[in-house]
Amino acid sequence: MSVLRPLDKQPGLNTATILLVGTEDALLQQLADSMLKEDCASELKVFSFFSHLARSLPLPSNVNRPRIDLIMFVVNLHSKYSLRNVEESLRHVDATFFLGKVGFLATGAGRESHCSVHRSTVVRLARTYRSPLLFCDPEVDGFRAPVAQRLVRMLQICAGHVPGVSALNLLSLLRSSENPTLEDL
Amino acid sequence: MEKQPGKQAATEPPDSGAGGGEGEPPQVAGAQAARPEDRLTLLLRLRAQTKQQLLEYKSMVDATEEKTPEQILQDKQIEAKIEDLENEIEEVKVAFEMKKLALDRMQLSTALKKNLEKNNPRTSVLMDNMKHVLKLNKLIMKSHQESWDLEEKLLDVRKKRLQLKQASESKLLEIQTEKNKQKDDLAVMENSDKMKTIQQNLQMEIQITTVIQHVFQNLILGSKANWAEDPAFKEIVLQLEKNLTMI
Repeated sequence: MSVLRPLDKQPGLNTATILLVGTEDALLQQLADSMLKEDCASELKVFSFFSHLARSLPLPSNVNRPRIDLIMFVVNLHSKYSLRNVEESLRHVDATFFLGKVGFLATGAGRESHCSVHRSTVVRLARTYRSPLLFCDPEVDGFRAPVAQRLVRMLQICAGHVPGVSALNLLSLLRSSENPTLEDL
Repeated sequence: MEKQPGKQAATEPPDSGAGGGEGEPPQVAGAQAARPEDRLTLLLRLRAQTKQQLLEYKSMVDATEEKTPEQILQDKQIEAKIEDLENEIEEVKVAFEMKKLALDRMQLSTALKKNLEKNNPRTSVLMDNMKHVLKLNKLIMKSHQESWDLEEKLLDVRKKRLQLKQASESKLLEIQTEKNKQKDDLAVMENSDKMKTIQQNLQMEIQITTVIQHVFQNLILGSKANWAEDPAFKEIVLQLEKNLTMI
């Protein structure tokens, strides 16, 4: 039973790796492409896992995989299956990952009528795991580029490429904007 | 098993300095003249990165050395503890920023001092700025003083107004009590026994006079004298006709 652990491998020189976990291939592909198009001084490696099995975060241990710096769980608000999938793959991530190296990305919040997962469910999920929650509308082209930029920046910080800012630092910075909702809930 | 189309896309490091990512071969693209400088920047960047990564690993090691509490805490307690720790972190961060700011200010002031000593202090633009600042500060202080005086005056006027209001209130109260007393006295006097006996006497006198009036009237009518001719006589008879209860 493989559990993803941060910092268990040595970091590659000038490389940063992000792992996208979600059920929709096309969306993850698009996100990966737009992230790679971003101007970035260090090498980017994007791993997308299209996990269709709800049991485990499929990580074959025989693959020579570099150290994963950031995990983004992509939840599509239009399907409950993706939420369930993400919840079950969360179990296979080590607890130390959640100190800033995990994020949630919710897509499809633009069309309220199609949403079968309520926004507050995802908000509560992000709150329990104390990780930042981002929203993205993949169909609109204009939204994808800023989200990709944000992801690239987060990845750089989590990989340690930005001197003076660590993943935990970023987490506490991102948290202060969420606090008003925490008091409401 | 699982479908794993893990997609791996590596971007070339931009040696040409323009920021790469399109997959073109930048090394061949003829940035050979600028190569040593780019190599230098690359090395510096890598140095910063490795420093940061080393720091992260060190902090992880320190974190794992700390003892974690063995007892099973409840969710709420854990959350409260987490929030306390986060608040501590924020406070430390803020304190650090303040200290850095103070340090920067001290450095700036010493640099300024040295600069002033070096240059001719009378002609530099800095002195002009400082004089301007001083002038403005004096103006500010003066206007502060003036506004304070005006506020004092306003306060005095308001106090006086309040005093006047209170005085008028007490006066009106006095007037009201006096009026009430008068009314009470009047009522008391009217209900006293003296008034009753006086009224009874008055009634009796009126009745007696009415009877006398009627007697005189009948006397005159019975004597069959012509009282309309003599004006003095007429006046007397008409006066006898007056109803005394109406007075």
